[in-house]
This record gives sequence, structure tokens and C-alpha cells, in this order.
Amino acid sequence: MKCDWVRQNILFYVYNELEDDARYEIEQHLGRCAECATELKATRSFQAELSETPVAEPTPNLLAASRMRLQEALETTRQGGLWQRLILEPAIWLRQIHMVPALAAAIFMVGFGGGIGATYNWVANRPSIVANDANDNRSNPASPVEASAITGIRSVTQEPGSNQVNIKYDTVLTQEAQGSLNDQRIQQLLLFAARNNYNSGVRMDSVDVLTQAPGESNVREALLYVLQNDTNAGVRLKALDGLSGFVRQDNQVRDGVLRALIGDTNSGVRMQALRLVEPMKTDSNVRSVLTKLAQTDQNASIRSQARTMMAQMPEMD
Amino acid sequence: MPADSYAVAFPVGEISRPRRAEQGSGNQNPIRMRGSLAAQSNRIDDTSLIREAQQGNRAAFEVLVRHYDQSVLRLALHLTGSESDAQDVYQEAFLKAYKNLGSFRFECSFYTWIYRIVTNLCLDHLRKRNVRKEDAPVAVDASGEEYSRLEQFADVRSGANPERDLMRRELGRKIGTALSALTPRERMVFELKHYHGLKLRTVGEMLNTTEETAKNTLFRATQKLRASLAEMR
Repeated sequence: MKCDWVRQNILFYVYNELEDDARYEIEQHLGRCAECATELKATRSFQAELSETPVAEPTPNLLAASRMRLQEALETTRQGGLWQRLILEPAIWLRQIHMVPALAAAIFMVGFGGGIGATYNWVANRPSIVANDANDNRSNPASPVEASAITGIRSVTQEPGSNQVNIKYDTVLTQEAQGSLNDQRIQQLLLFAARNNYNSGVRMDSVDVLTQAPGESNVREALLYVLQNDTNAGVRLKALDGLSGFVRQDNQVRDGVLRALIGDTNSGVRMQALRLVEPMKTDSNVRSVLTKLAQTDQNASIRSQARTMMAQMPEMD
Repeated sequence: MPADSYAVAFPVGEISRPRRAEQGSGNQNPIRMRGSLAAQSNRIDDTSLIREAQQGNRAAFEVLVRHYDQSVLRLALHLTGSESDAQDVYQEAFLKAYKNLGSFRFECSFYTWIYRIVTNLCLDHLRKRNVRKEDAPVAVDASGEEYSRLEQFADVRSGANPERDLMRRELGRKIGTALSALTPRERMVFELKHYHGLKLRTVGEMLNTTEETAKNTLFRATQKLRASLAEMR
């Protein structure tokens, strides 16, 4: 029984694959058992026989040729695809990124984008209410427009021969409102357009329509605002025209026109303002402005006009 | 002379030396120690090389290749018996390693991993060849010319003794025939254990099997070889 075990393990003894205790046991047995010692000899001579023909080392030429061929192939070979790496070794791609700040920035950007998206959705839902309002407003024109929801006015058109005005305005989505000039909502849009619109053509149209209803105090206020702040001289001139009927009765309008007369950058607007205040030259404010203009204004035409007007002024007692 | 003297530690790259019959049993241990120490230090170097290569550094991969390619080529050459087949196995193995390097997770040593690839390719080759039943040890060089791999060593080993040379050639032919009679798996286990001196545990790892199975396969292979050679005498 012992001999069987030894013979089964003698090969591994020779190949040095046995644990120390098994090795010791075999060595002890071989010292006592001649048959097993013969088996050991036979195993060793078999191995020695095999070793007579060792493995050939590859020739340097073969090795060099193989290396060269591999190098050429590597130039056109790509490592495993990204998906493969993501699946097989997440740690490797994380190491490859090894740019924590970049990753942080990416996460921040994604978060920021998500925030904008969420806000957009929130805002986008609100105009849908306004839009409903707008639709309702066609049947119920008295309800006001939520000015804060308006992002811009696209166009203002008046139907010829009527006081019907058509206004296209943007909330988040472009909407359309239609109604009479007396319609509060239409007026609100016009006032908004006159003050806020980025398109001077639309401002011009708005002011043009507004000048037809200058009786409203908020319309005059808007026109004054335009006169003082609009970047486009044509729009300012149009506002000035709209205000022309109120120079006499409304002190605010008169002061606004005087401010334009003194400070407007466009001489056309100033000349128009000058013409408007002429009937009011008895007003002390107007008179002091005219005196100043007649003396020091850089524009010769305004200077001479102001002098003429001063000269024609009746003597005050 | 004990055959164990050929089972020196796993040769790594330039450090490996052709095993000589002259290396007696007395000096085998220092060789084993030197080999394994060198292999160990190389494996430490390998870790950083592997990481670099995994990040797409081709130069690092090429250095890694040079650590192992000589023994890979020797294994392939001995198993296939043909220089061009050995070159094909070499090429395919390292390209496969390069492509799949991302999946190497340091769970085993790199040489076990690369040998797993090589042995699989060689097993495929042996299985195909078993259908054709070719005879070893006549090899075919890159130009297609046949030569005996054993002849290359004849002069060195026999001291240019023509009679001994002839005997060795005859023995080589017999061994080749006996080896080619083994199943591909038996052949592979025997090759890795006997000619490459790997531990059976490592052989098991390379062949995706247990040490016990590798042990049984080696036992079977040796029995068959002994029987074949005895018949041929």
C-alpha cells in the first residue's frame, strides 16, 4: 500500500512538487524499499533521456523578426474599446481620467445645465397660464396681461381706418393679442413695447399707436419715458409728437420736453421740442431755458431760433 | 544526472539562459534563486509598466513584451515545431494581450496571464495539428525549409562527435513522436512542467484548472511517454 502511494508520487518527488512531510516520507521509504528505489532510478533516467534533447532557444533572427512584426501590427492596433473597459475595469477608467478637477467641473456643468432646464420647465409652465389668459382675454378683453411674463414684442400693427391693434408679443412662447386701443391689455402691451422692446421698429409702432390715446396719464408717462430714454431719435421724435398736445396743460410733459430741448443728442428732436415749447415761452422755466440756449447753445440754428423766440417774447411786467 | 536540474525557475526575458546539460544538480539552487529573484524584481517593474500600457502607452507595452517574448517564442516553437507557426502564435498572443490589457486586473501575475493566452493559442494549434498528425521534431523555418531543431545543438552538446550526434538525433525523433502522441492538454502540461519548469499550481492557473488536475495530467502524460519510448527501444 505504501509502495503504491510512493510510486504515484515519485514523479512529483522528482519534479519537486511535494510538501516537505510527503517528501520526507518518500525519502524514508526509498531508503528501505529497493523496488521503489528502482522506480526512482527509472523515473530519473527517463527524465535524463528527455533532457538529452532540450528545448531549442529561438534564434536571435527569429526573435528580432517576431518583434518587428509585432511592432508593425501594434501601430495599427487599438486597445480595447471604452465600453469594454467600463464593463471590465471601472477602476482603470477612473484612473485614466485621473483629472478630478475636470470631473468636478463636468459634474458642475451637468448640474448647472439641469438647473437651467428645470427653471425653464417651471417658467414654461407659467406662460401657459398667461396664454390661457390671453385666449380668455379675447372674450374678456378687460383682464390684464402679466407684464413680467412678457419677454418682448414682435410687432405692432394697426388695422387701417380703425382703432384695432394687433400685437405679437413673446412670453416664453410667442403669443398674439388683438383688441381695441382702449383695451387695457393692449395698452399695457404697447406701454411695455414702448419701454422695453429691443426692436426700434416695434417701439416706433408702439409709440405711434400710443400717440393716438395720449389722454391716458400712463400713456403720457410712457411717451415721456421714451422721449427721455429711447436710443432711437425717430422713436423719440414720434413720442414728442404724441406729447405735443399736452405741453400746455401738463407740467410734467412740459418739463420733459424742456429736458429734451436741453439734453437731447439729436438736433431734429431738439428743434421739434423748441417748436413745441414756443407757445409756452411765458413759462419762466421755458424762458430760462430759451435764454440759456440763445446764449450758449452749440447748435447755431437752435441758438438763433431761441434768440428769435426771445426777441418776440412780450415784455413781462 | 537528475532531470530536475532542467527545471530552473521561470526564465524571464534576457535573464533566461538555454538550459545546458552541463548544469549539474550541485549548482541548480543558486540558478533557481537568481532566476526567481530576477523574476520577482521584474514583476514589480511590470506593475508600473502594465499600468502605463493600460493607459495607452505603447512603449511601455513593448518593454513588457521584451520581458516575456523570448520564453513565449520558445514555448510556441517547441509546441508547434515550425518557426512560422511560432511567429503566428507570438504575434497573435501579444496582440490579444495588447487589446485586452484593460481587462487585466492584477489578480494573477502578468506572466500567468500572458501564458494563459499563449497556451490557449498553442492548444488550438495542437488540436488542429492532431487532425493532421504531423511528426515532430522536424521544424520548418520561416523560408519553409525543413530542419531538425535538435541538430542546432548537436555540435555544442556532443563535442562534434558524429556517432553520438546520430544517436541524439534518433532519440530526438523518438521523443518528438512520443510527445506528439499525447493529447494537446497532456502535451501542454508536460511542456510547461518539464521544459519550462513551472510549478503545477501555476500550470493549473494558466490552463484554468486546479493543481490537482494538472498533477493528474502530468502523471498520465509521463506514463504515456515512458511507454512510448520503451516501445521504440
